[in-house]
Amino acid sequence: MSHLFEHKGAGGKGYSQPESIMPTDNLQIPSSLVRKDLPKWPRLSEPEMVRHYTWLSTRNFGIDTGFYPLGSCTMKHNPRVNEVIAQLPGIADLHPLQPEHQIQGTLSIFHEMQEMLGICAGMDAVTLQPVAGAQGEFTAIRCFQEYFRKRGESQRTKVIVPDSAHGTNPASASMAGFEIIEIPSQEDGRIDLNALRAVVGDDTAAMMITNPSTLGVFEPEIAEAAEIVHAAGGQMYYDGANFNAILGLTSPGIMGFDAVHYNLHKTFSQPHGGGGPGSGPIGVKSHLAEFLPGPVVKRRPILAGDRMTSVNKEWWYHWQEPENSIGKVQQWHGNSGAVIRSWAFYRRYGRDLKTMSQHAVLNANYLRHKIMQEAEAKGVGHRFCDGAPVDVVKHEFTLSFAPMKEEIGIGAMDIAKGLLDKGYMAPTVYFPLIVPECMMFEPTETESKEVLDEFAIKFVEVLQEDPDVLHEAPITTKVRRVDEVYAARNLVLSYPFDEE
Amino acid sequence: MVDQLPNLGREKEMLEAMGMSSMDDLFADIPEAVRMNGELPLRGPQSEEEIIADARRILGANVALGDRVNFLGAGLNRNYVPASVFQLITRGEFLTSYTPYQPEVSQGMLQAMWEFQTLISELVSLKVANLSVYDGSTAAAEALTCAVRVHNRKATQKDTIYISELLPPARISVIENYTQGGGVVIKTLRHNSDGTLNLESLSEAAGSCGIYVEQPNPLGILDGGLTRVKEIIGDGTAFIVGVSPVSLGLIEAPGNYGADIVVGEGQALGSPITYGGPLYGIFACTNAYLRQMPGRIVGRSIDVDGQEAFCLTLSTREQHIRRHRATSNICTNETLIALMGAMHMSLLGPEGLQKLAQRNMAACELAKKKLSEIPTIAIPHVMNCHYNEFVVELPGAASDCIAYLDTQGLIGGYDLSNWYPERRNWLLVSFSDQTKAAEIELLTAHLAVWSASVSPGVSA
Ligand SMILES: Cc1ncc(COP(=O)(O)O)c(C=O)c1O
Repeated sequence: MSHLFEHKGAGGKGYSQPESIMPTDNLQIPSSLVRKDLPKWPRLSEPEMVRHYTWLSTRNFGIDTGFYPLGSCTMKHNPRVNEVIAQLPGIADLHPLQPEHQIQGTLSIFHEMQEMLGICAGMDAVTLQPVAGAQGEFTAIRCFQEYFRKRGESQRTKVIVPDSAHGTNPASASMAGFEIIEIPSQEDGRIDLNALRAVVGDDTAAMMITNPSTLGVFEPEIAEAAEIVHAAGGQMYYDGANFNAILGLTSPGIMGFDAVHYNLHKTFSQPHGGGGPGSGPIGVKSHLAEFLPGPVVKRRPILAGDRMTSVNKEWWYHWQEPENSIGKVQQWHGNSGAVIRSWAFYRRYGRDLKTMSQHAVLNANYLRHKIMQEAEAKGVGHRFCDGAPVDVVKHEFTLSFAPMKEEIGIGAMDIAKGLLDKGYMAPTVYFPLIVPECMMFEPTETESKEVLDEFAIKFVEVLQEDPDVLHEAPITTKVRRVDEVYAARNLVLSYPFDEE
Repeated sequence: MVDQLPNLGREKEMLEAMGMSSMDDLFADIPEAVRMNGELPLRGPQSEEEIIADARRILGANVALGDRVNFLGAGLNRNYVPASVFQLITRGEFLTSYTPYQPEVSQGMLQAMWEFQTLISELVSLKVANLSVYDGSTAAAEALTCAVRVHNRKATQKDTIYISELLPPARISVIENYTQGGGVVIKTLRHNSDGTLNLESLSEAAGSCGIYVEQPNPLGILDGGLTRVKEIIGDGTAFIVGVSPVSLGLIEAPGNYGADIVVGEGQALGSPITYGGPLYGIFACTNAYLRQMPGRIVGRSIDVDGQEAFCLTLSTREQHIRRHRATSNICTNETLIALMGAMHMSLLGPEGLQKLAQRNMAACELAKKKLSEIPTIAIPHVMNCHYNEFVVELPGAASDCIAYLDTQGLIGGYDLSNWYPERRNWLLVSFSDQTKAAEIELLTAHLAVWSASVSPGVSA
């Protein structure tokens, strides 16, 4: 164990700085504001700092380390050229308040992304401003709210979410001031149209749902659901976390949705960075465009007086504030660096984004099949069941280990820890909440058949493992099972200098 | 494209293993009525070489800050970030990991974020810090909703918060969007003509849920009066301060003058400006606000062998557990940028931070000295101490001045009529550790020429 705050460093010269451009002995800081004690930061030389963080990195698992089938998170390979592009001074060294004639290149890329995202989702207008999926949800719900306000329908105060929804859906709607109506799903995880019919009314503002659902299953009655909500005067919101399954195959627009967020860190390979940054643009149908956060990028033909740029000789790109904009959700123009990376990713596929989605679905179905087949062959097929009993899944699938828990006391979390010992990241556990002892697998399109074959074998080996061994797992990791209850009961949220 | 899809060309083999014959079988569950038929109407795929060539050409059409002599800041300043930071965050173990739901294989990021919390907590002198929110503006907004949750029950001014009237409209707009759902009423705090907070009017805020002010304030002023705020508003009202983190190498930590919550834009520590994102929002508070705090928090724990180990903690505040009653909807945050911040802070050390703050202040001071020698312009808050930026009052419109400076190769600053419509002649000029003395000379010379040209009866 090596602690940042315990390095007995060389005296605080991590990197040398040039002298100030003027003497600083008389800066005339008001006496009440002069800092008395400097922060207790470590004093490291560069080699010590580099070694500390490199050491930490060896204690962390990423996609680059191994298979990372974390369902709902789309942990696909992150092409490295995107990182090179995002460091170019033409994006990294740009200020959001620079005038338009200095940023034509960036605006043209934003415009291309707005158009592309609109086309893929069947939406009419796009903003790149929200910085994560949850913020995209919040932004769209705010647009709904202003839309209703303008129509004199402010009595629409309820947002419907299925019980299978991700936690951010209800949290975002509630933050915007809506009451949440949770409706139960059917036995097989599909949306219950009768339950939906029973709750819609003239107080319905919206329904938030993802399709494929959080069980990885396509909702066959999605158009009917949209019809029910629309007939009641509500709006349909598409949680785009599962977009990787459907590009070029169907779209939220075709299914009847009014607004959608995209998780660029999922579908478009912005690296997840240990928790972020992400980017959560939203797309809306035309009736909501006037409410989008502003500004959005527009273009017009070049005029004689325009200052020429080398982007192209046809178009002038400019910011424009939507007429009845809800205002801002982030102070600037969103996570532009993530948008640029996602643009580079888009350019790699172009219209073949459809092939990408097909392969994401191919891999998920193949892995599901292989696990089932292997489990049957090894006589442990009865230890789990499908989260949703369907012939085909989309980009991810869920399995319930309730039978195994019942039979030998081994649940999803134990299996997850067993997988860590095999050198894999565990799938998502205990989500969606409606599947007991749930594990959710999402291999993504960037894993080879060999990786999937091998994983299926190793996974079933875990299911065959002695329960006592699994209760003890993991044993090969840098630390063993971490006591989360202890952490919450004995809060130590920063380095305890007094304990020294 | 092919280089990203290892199973391209092997579809048949994989389908047959599942007893299927075509890719279409995988999508048989999508009803005909909602299918997208044909190709996506998009361009064709490109190779990596073509993409990077296009990126260089298109982004090369931008004017980068480094291409010009730059005085644009307004909250985002161009600080130097050491090369080792950029090298280290390309490590795939950091870059390509996600939220550490499996702590046993995520100790690296968990420990780094626990150390980040410590670095921030020490910087602002408050007990707890989270591992980042989206940016400085959402940090301010989330701090205010947090204050409402903590204080509303006992507040005499229910559902009411106060914010500085000087805040840029974009920041106010974020605050409005985040607070309107809770029916929160936003009132403003007035300022004196010298740009400092009006402490007499501040007493109106006592009994509300919280106040939000910035140090330095949006005009770059370091306001000594803020050290008296807490005694005026009292314990029942949250004192929230937005900071420029590097300034705290010289300026007192708000935790030491009564702040309950400290937020800020972390960018100057560790991150390029990147056109305004990704950045990271700092969020720190006293223990009293901990359970209403937004975002992820790492705690120290032990593993089954009693070894020290780290994990996410207090998750019951968060959306994945508390759903519509969560303290915030935030899920994906800005961890990697916060990690860059932690690396930069580790290299700086306490004395390095102090020196960096001195360099920033020195640039601002030198500029103030030089510009105040120009007879045709005024520096309205000249008697105050500034950090990074100050206001110049011009003899003509700031927009015209900026256009002129642009023709001379300078990004001249920010036209404050965008924030305060009646202030057509106010130019906000910014200086950082990257500003050179010769650049200040250049600005002074150009401003003198332009100001003389628009001032009747003055020759340059
Ligand atoms: C189904 C679903 N919806 C919404 C979100 C929220 O997205 P973000 O984490 O980008 O805020 C997630 C991501 O974790 C998700 O899996």
